[in-house]
Amino acid sequence: MREWFAGLERSVELLVAVGPEETPRAGTGDVDFGAEMVRVCEELAELGEHVTCRVEDEPEGFPRFPAVSIRPEARDAGVRYDGLPWGYELGSLVGAVVEAGRAEPTLRPESLEALGTLENDLALDVFVTPT
Amino acid sequence: MLLAFRCALASERVTATAIEANEFPRLSQEMGVFAVPRIVVDGEPRWDGAVPEPEFLRRVLA
Repeated sequence: MREWFAGLERSVELLVAVGPEETPRAGTGDVDFGAEMVRVCEELAELGEHVTCRVEDEPEGFPRFPAVSIRPEARDAGVRYDGLPWGYELGSLVGAVVEAGRAEPTLRPESLEALGTLENDLALDVFVTPT
Repeated sequence: MLLAFRCALASERVTATAIEANEFPRLSQEMGVFAVPRIVVDGEPRWDGAVPEPEFLRRVLA
């Protein structure tokens, strides 16, 4: 992971939002999701000099807590993870950091062309579970 | 998940949010999440499962 983060071409800020949490589904154990989110993101920030972590209490623009906004050069690029990315899902957060740290998009040219035709905003939500 | 993130990073018009289903059961129920990944576009559940990039773009832009 250190090698991936060392290869980042631009800085990435992890803005962690903590606040009132919904009661999770039974079976998730006695986990303090907000505290764990802070711990995970702070530990990720320690792995690379281009990665920083900032924690805010109930910042604007976050409908659910805990959450983390992955921000290239501290800019809100619309990339967010709501909930604690544990287990396999930690890879999604790490992947988001690596992608946000790239200077150029990694989509295929035809995909970039298609996105370039968008005339309205598009909100993609992907529901995941830790496995 | 990364495809959605890549789309958001590539376009200022796109936002991408991963939502941990177990932590937000009410929203998950509203979106009828029984299998993951469940992809929701502009608040509308669209499909379950990972698909290749060209198909992902085709579906979200449809």
